[in-house]
Amino acid sequence: MRRRLWLPLILFVAAAVGSLAATLVTGASPLLGLDLQGGVSVVLEPTSDASGEALDQSVDIIRSRVDALGIAEPEITRQGDAVVVQLPGARNRDRALELVGETAELRFRPVLENLTGREVVEPDEPDEGDTTTTTAGDGSTTTSSTTTTTAPGEEGGGLAPGESAGAAQPTTTTSTSTTTSTTTTTAPTAPEQAGEPVQLTPRSEDDADAEVILEDEEGTGVYRLGPTLATGEIVSSAQAEFQNQWIVGLSMRGGEDGIDRFNEVAAQCYVGAPNPEVCPTGQLAIVLDSVVQSAPTIQQPTYERDAISISGGGESAFNEGEAKDLALVLRYGALPVELERQSVQTVSATLGDDSLRAGILAGAAGLVLVALYMLFYYRALGLVVIVGMALQGALVYAIVSWLGEQQGLALTLAGVTGLIVSVGVTVDSYVVFFERLKDDLKLGRTLRSSVERTFKRAFRTILAADISAFLGAAILWWLTVGSVRGFAFFLGLSTLLDVVKAWMFTRPIVTILSRNHVFTDMPGFGVARGLAAAPAPGAGR
Amino acid sequence: MSTVPGASGVPDPAPRRPIWTRLYHGETNFDIVGRRRLWFAVSLIAVLVGGLSLATQELNLGIDFEGGVVWEVPANEASVADARDAVRQHGLANATIQEASSDAGSLLRVEAEPVSAEVSDEVSAALAEGTGSSIDDVNLTEVGPSWGREISEKALRALMVFLVLVTIYIALRFELKMAIPTLVALVHDVIITVGIYSLFRLEVTPATVVAVLTILGYSVYDGIVVFDKVDENTRLVSSTGGLSYSGMVNVSLNQTLMRSLNTTITSVLPVGALLVVGSWLLGAVVLQEFAIALLIGLFAGAYSSLFVASPLLAWLKEREPRYRDIRRRIDARGGEGEAVAAAVAGAGDATGPRTPAGATVSPTGRVIPARPRKKTKRR
Repeated sequence: MRRRLWLPLILFVAAAVGSLAATLVTGASPLLGLDLQGGVSVVLEPTSDASGEALDQSVDIIRSRVDALGIAEPEITRQGDAVVVQLPGARNRDRALELVGETAELRFRPVLENLTGREVVEPDEPDEGDTTTTTAGDGSTTTSSTTTTTAPGEEGGGLAPGESAGAAQPTTTTSTSTTTSTTTTTAPTAPEQAGEPVQLTPRSEDDADAEVILEDEEGTGVYRLGPTLATGEIVSSAQAEFQNQWIVGLSMRGGEDGIDRFNEVAAQCYVGAPNPEVCPTGQLAIVLDSVVQSAPTIQQPTYERDAISISGGGESAFNEGEAKDLALVLRYGALPVELERQSVQTVSATLGDDSLRAGILAGAAGLVLVALYMLFYYRALGLVVIVGMALQGALVYAIVSWLGEQQGLALTLAGVTGLIVSVGVTVDSYVVFFERLKDDLKLGRTLRSSVERTFKRAFRTILAADISAFLGAAILWWLTVGSVRGFAFFLGLSTLLDVVKAWMFTRPIVTILSRNHVFTDMPGFGVARGLAAAPAPGAGR
Repeated sequence: MSTVPGASGVPDPAPRRPIWTRLYHGETNFDIVGRRRLWFAVSLIAVLVGGLSLATQELNLGIDFEGGVVWEVPANEASVADARDAVRQHGLANATIQEASSDAGSLLRVEAEPVSAEVSDEVSAALAEGTGSSIDDVNLTEVGPSWGREISEKALRALMVFLVLVTIYIALRFELKMAIPTLVALVHDVIITVGIYSLFRLEVTPATVVAVLTILGYSVYDGIVVFDKVDENTRLVSSTGGLSYSGMVNVSLNQTLMRSLNTTITSVLPVGALLVVGSWLLGAVVLQEFAIALLIGLFAGAYSSLFVASPLLAWLKEREPRYRDIRRRIDARGGEGEAVAAAVAGAGDATGPRTPAGATVSPTGRVIPARPRKKTKRR
C-alpha cells in the first residue's frame, strides 16, 4: 500500500529532478528555432508532383550543399510535400538562399592535371591527402577497363574510372597502403609530389568556362580542370548495375545535344590519343556543385549512345552505395525535382531575442497568475499544483533540451505558445480531481477515505479528455507544415505528460498528504479549507 | 419545462448564501437545460451574425495567404517617407509602409506584392542603408501566392480528419448521441471565432489558423469533461429516482460548473498574458495573433460546452422512448424538484460501492441509494 504510493511519486520526482540536473550539468539547452534566434527559413515545394523518394533525395542534396557553406546547425527536413530549410544565424543568407533549391549544373570538364596529394589551401584542411599520386590513371585504368569492356556484353566500351574516391587513385601497386595511410599520415610528407600548395577555386568563382581547381567529395583528390565541355543535359539516364562488380551504366540522349557532343569530347580525351591542348590526361571529370564526383579515364574514342559505363578500377572498385550515388548525380544533375520557393522568412537576431523574451515573460506571468489563483482557491492543495507544475516544467525543459540536442528539434515561437497554452490543460487535471474531492467531502466522507476512490473516477475523465486533446495535436502535427508542427508537438507532449503526472504525482501526493493533519487542518490554509470540507470531519482514525 | 427556483422543498444547510459561495460549494442549481431555447437563440444569433459577416465581407487575409513580401527594419531616425524613397527606386511605389512602435523601438514595415529574389535582396539593402541599420537587422518575409492556400488546405484536411476521429472516439468511449452535440458545439465555436475575425477585420495569419485548430481541441476537451459526468450520472435517471434525463444533465452541469469556470480561468490567464505581453513588448506579432483567436475560442468553447452541447444532448436523448416515458411520468407526478435538489446537494459522486456506512447519508438527511442500479448504465 505504502509502496504503491511512494514508488511512483519518488520515480516521478527523481525523473524530473534528475533529468533537469543532467540537462544542466551537460550544459544542454533547448535548441532555439529561427524565429527566436534569428536566421533564414525557406519552404520549398515541388512545381509538379514528385515522389517521396525524389523529395528525400532533394533533401540530401540540399543538405550537402548547405553543409558545404559552413552554416552551423542547418535543419533540412521534408514535411509532407514541402522541403523546409532552416538556417540559423542571419549571416551568409543570400548565398544560402541562392544555393537552396536552385538546380545546379552538372558539368563534364577535362582533367588538365591531377594534383592529388598536393597541399591544399582553403577551404578545407589538407590532411586527408593520400600518399601516392604518380600521375595516376593510365596503368591501372587499362586493367580495369578490360573488365568493364567485357562486362556490358555489347561492344560499347567502358569509360574507366579515375574513380570518385580519390583516396584510392588507381595506382594499383600502392593503393592497399593508401587506404590505411589516409587515416594515419598526411599527404605533404610524400616527397616526390609535395610541390607548391594548390589554391582551390572558391565555389563562387566556379565559372563554367574558366579553368578551375576542385576537390572530390572526400577532399582526397584534387584536380586542375579545363573549361566545361558538356553539361548534364547530354545524359538521358544512368543507373547502378552489378556486372561482376558495381558499375554505373549511362545512356546519352540522341543527336547533337547528346551522344554527338559526348563523342566529340571522347575524341579529345581518348586516353590512347588525348588532345594535349584540351584533355592531356585522358580523364574527364564529372563535376557537380563544384565537387568532382568522379574522374573516369576515357577508354574509347567513340561510344554507342546506350552502352557507356563507368566502373571503379581495381582496388578502387565502386561499392553499391558509391555506384548508386554517382548514378543519382548523373541522372538528376542536381535536384531530382524542381523546387519553388514558397515562403522565405528572415528574422533578425534582435527580433528573435525580443520574441524569446516576450515568450518567456508571458509564460512566467501566466504561470504566476495561475499559481496564485490555485493557492487562493485550493489553499494547501494549490501548493501541490505549484510543485507539480514545477516538476512538469523541469521535465519539459529536459525533454526539449534533449530533443534539441539529439534530434535537432528546435523550439520555435509557436512551440513556446503551445507550451503556454498547455498550462490550461495541465491545470485542468488538478481541477477535475479536486472538484470531485470537494463533492465527495460534501457527502461527509473524510478526506482520507475519499482521495483514492475519487482519483480513480477523475482519472477516467482526465484520460478521456487528454486523449481527445492528444488526438488533435497529433493530427495537427501529422498534417501540417512549419510552425504549426512545433505548436502541435509541444501541445501533444504536454498532454502526454499530464496523464503521467496525474497518475505518478497527483494521486500519490494527495493521498499521502491527506493523512497529514497539519496539512489538512491548518486553519485558513489546510486542504479542508481549500475543499470546503464539512467542519472537522472526524479526521482519521 | 418544470423548473425549480432555488432549492425549495429541501432545507438548505445555510439559508441563502451569496452566489459565489454557492458556486464554490457546488450548491448551485441553475436551470441551464430548461432554458435551452434561450441559449440556442443566443448562439443562433451569434452564429448568424458571424456567418453573415463572413458571407458579405471577405476575411482580412495576411500576406501569408495573398502572397507578397514584407520587410521589417528598425526605424532608428528614419521616417515612413524615407522608407518610401528607398523602396521607390526598386519599382515598389505602391508598397504599404507603416511604422509600428513597440518596447524595442519603432519598426518600419514595408509590404509589397511578390517580387523576384533579386529585387527583394536589393530592397533589403536599400532599407538597411536608408535607416542606417545593418542588413542583418532586416526581417524579410517572402510568401509565394499559393502558400496560403496550401496552409488552408492542410488545415482543412486536418480539421476533417480530427472531426472524424473525435466522432469515432466519443462514440466508442461514450455513445454516438454524445458525439453529435460535440460536433455542433465545435462548429459553433469555429464560426463564432472566424466570424469575429471577419466582423472586426482582424488579420488572419497562419497563426490564426493554428489557433482555431487548437480551439477545436479545447472545445472537445471541455465537452468531454461535462459528458463524462453526464455519463456517470445516467443511472440516476429513472422514474422512481425522480430524475428525467434533462434534469440529470442539468444536475451534471451544475456539478461541473466550478470545474468549467476554474479551467476556463486557468486557461485564460496564460493566454491573456500572452496577449498582453505580446502586444506590449512586440507590437503585432505571432504571439498576439495566437492569443486573440485563442481567447475568443476559449470563451466560445466554455459557453458552448455548457449551454449548447449539453442542452442539445438532453434534447436528443429525450426523444428516445425510454427517457420520454420517464419524463412523462415525472411531469405527471408534479416535477422533479426534490430529486434535482437532492442530487445537487448530495450526489457528487455516488459511484462508490462499499463506502463507509456513514457516507451514504447526505447532509440534507436524504439517503443516497447505496447500490446504484447497474442496469441503466450505458452498455
